[in-house]
Amino acid sequence: MAKATDHDVLIAGAGIVGASIAWHLAEAGLRVAVADAVGPAAAASGASDGAVSVASKKPGVMARLATGSLLYTRDLAARGLLATAFAARPSYVFGTGAAEMGAIDALIAKLAELAGPVRVLADGGAGLLPGAGPGVERLLALSGEGHMPGHKAVRAYLAHPRITRLWPAALAGYEVDDGGVTVDLGTQRLRAGILIGALGASTPEIFPGLPVLPRAGQLLVTDAGPRGALPGALTAAAYLLAKTDGPGHEVLPPVVIDPLATGQFLIGSSREDHADTSRVDFVTLRRLLGRSASAFPALAERRVIRAFAGIRAAVPDGLPIVGPMPGMARVILATGFEGDGICLSALIGREVAAMARGEGPGPDWAADFAALSPARFSAAQPGRVA
Amino acid sequence: MSGARVLVVGAGLAGLAAAVELARAGIAVLVVDQAMRPGGAVHRQPLPGGRSLASPAQARRWRALMSEVEAQRERIEFACETRFGGIDHSGAVLLTGAAPALFRPRALVLAVGAREAVQPRPGWTLPGVTTAGALQTLLKTTGTPPQGRVLLAGSGPLLLALGAELVRTGRPPLAIIEAGQPFSHPAPSLRLPVSYMVEAARHLARLVAARVPILTGAHLRRIAPDAGALMGEVDTRHGPRRFLADHIGLHDGIRPNDAGLTDCAALPVLRLGDCREALGAAAALADGRARGRALAAQLTGTTPPTATSALAREAAAQARLARIYAHDGAAQLTDLPDDTVICRCEARTLADLKALGPAPSTRQLRLDGRFGMGACQGRFCAEWVARIVASDFGDTPRPVLGQPRWPARPISVADLLAAPNLTSGETE
Repeated sequence: MAKATDHDVLIAGAGIVGASIAWHLAEAGLRVAVADAVGPAAAASGASDGAVSVASKKPGVMARLATGSLLYTRDLAARGLLATAFAARPSYVFGTGAAEMGAIDALIAKLAELAGPVRVLADGGAGLLPGAGPGVERLLALSGEGHMPGHKAVRAYLAHPRITRLWPAALAGYEVDDGGVTVDLGTQRLRAGILIGALGASTPEIFPGLPVLPRAGQLLVTDAGPRGALPGALTAAAYLLAKTDGPGHEVLPPVVIDPLATGQFLIGSSREDHADTSRVDFVTLRRLLGRSASAFPALAERRVIRAFAGIRAAVPDGLPIVGPMPGMARVILATGFEGDGICLSALIGREVAAMARGEGPGPDWAADFAALSPARFSAAQPGRVA
Repeated sequence: MSGARVLVVGAGLAGLAAAVELARAGIAVLVVDQAMRPGGAVHRQPLPGGRSLASPAQARRWRALMSEVEAQRERIEFACETRFGGIDHSGAVLLTGAAPALFRPRALVLAVGAREAVQPRPGWTLPGVTTAGALQTLLKTTGTPPQGRVLLAGSGPLLLALGAELVRTGRPPLAIIEAGQPFSHPAPSLRLPVSYMVEAARHLARLVAARVPILTGAHLRRIAPDAGALMGEVDTRHGPRRFLADHIGLHDGIRPNDAGLTDCAALPVLRLGDCREALGAAAALADGRARGRALAAQLTGTTPPTATSALAREAAAQARLARIYAHDGAAQLTDLPDDTVICRCEARTLADLKALGPAPSTRQLRLDGRFGMGACQGRFCAEWVARIVASDFGDTPRPVLGQPRWPARPISVADLLAAPNLTSGETE
């Protein structure tokens, strides 16, 4: 016997992916609730730099999704929703040595094939970027990308008046029946038509069959220097290789130097297969900082004021997990973005909201979303039951 | 620089007492301090050729401790003008400055002293306004007072001590603005140790002889620029008063200090003296000795010594002192104008804090409000942010700006990269 629902859709996880899905559903007139064990942007979405970047994505599905999401993010910014969160800015990729030269060549080929909004402005030496140092043998200047601090976007999405906020409330379990899903939030049980799991690194606690693994990254923040010294993120080509190869294959530190609006710099990050945010060590951060200062020597005049670690939700095949659980249309997953959530959130939010309304991803995206389905894991079974 | 030594951070009373006890047990010790010479805040030594303002009793205590240190110099090495950058989860510590290194000590002893609290009030970030502790450091190292008129305000015995030291250097402060009413208690009822009473009497005698007004139950409400100087507006029990000064020294008590000083599972980390519990000089010395001995016993596998009662005695005396100075100063926070700066690193105001809405989370305070995100990482503002947030909702203040972790203080990128890596078995 089906009971009436409290919400049309309940989303577990108030990171940027959950927040974007919630906004798109609320905008479509549905009754949406978002539950989070801690609160908005409490994990990777609040610990990251916030690059909205196509260049850094693996060729194929991820690069196509990133292109679509970049265009849609710009659109949401122009419409006002993400106006204070998103800012267009140039980006730079640098490299030294054969492996990174190859990665830069591959990037140029990838961007040409995408023929999207991200274009190569210049391909040359350190002279292309004032302030670039001896660690830059080759530099690629790109236009069309942008920057969006995760917590700002989460705040903008969750401000929608039709979103019910439930936190702190951790998803403890769920039970599906013909009429909906009973969701156990520990202190209360709610009925929803559909449950969406946007749980990031917490995914296996509720969906133990899914291979979502914690991948820690150490980062540091400097004090503020002159604003605008670096017009956009400066990324080592090793980062592109790291995205393809996974941990353990690094030749050079995969640094990203992200200039913040305050004049501070955020420098990251390592890739370590564990979930311990207390592991923040001098040797690892010196390695990142050494390469960063060699690429952008003005950093040597800054001071490190903060060092910390964030946890990404990684999937062994390097693709996120998005779509309904096999044989369970009322439970939809959107997780495993491994740091790409901020970039992909706009498009993922729109398409997952469409799935929840029974409309499925649009025809342009059906093939790419098929590659993200949880059905690709044979072990994907209905998860913990309430 | 071998990793087999115990690292003591802070060459004040607590750190040196612990170093002596460790060395006596045969353990090699490296003592680092950011200052040019050992001494710490209490026994800060003058620059070469400078005049010492230490009292005879202070000078005797310091000479006695230093002679114990000298007797153990085979096992105690000093690295002055060297800053402690922090300890990471692996047990590696970073030193920068005169003796830079990244290495793993056998144990870490933190004896970095107390933190001085300064409560936000309008104008507290103006040039010319410093902590009273900073004025005292200047006085002790150079032996000369700041040029111009000095006003001291806040609460606590340090204001009287600093006032008396200014008198000795021939530049009495305009006034001492004390929020508490320490003189309203009959002396015999205080049951303070004789040494406390003697010291207080000596300071008061100097201040009275120099006719320095001591306004008790009074608050420095606001500081405003005035014709190239600073106008301090004071609420007294008898109405408002104004003082035109060139320097204002603020002091709202001292606090333990754990900012950026993490524990570590990989090796023993000990906190001694005022950085663990602000109990003053005598307690710091006793704490350093007792717990230095206990650490030595732990490291050498011998029986730990029995605890002494010296620390409990000092804790009781400090608790009485706190009651004597008790005041409602923090209540002033609720009446601050909205444009009062709370976070001085990024000039975030009370209005910015209120804009976060009721009961903001740590994430909101940091990410949306940007409190604790500047160079000091909340060392100066966290206490006041917590009190203001709590005062809105009748809660007790709770820590609001996150966990302590390295860096213990901002570390120059160039220094971090230049420090030789002496951690064994690792390559960069």
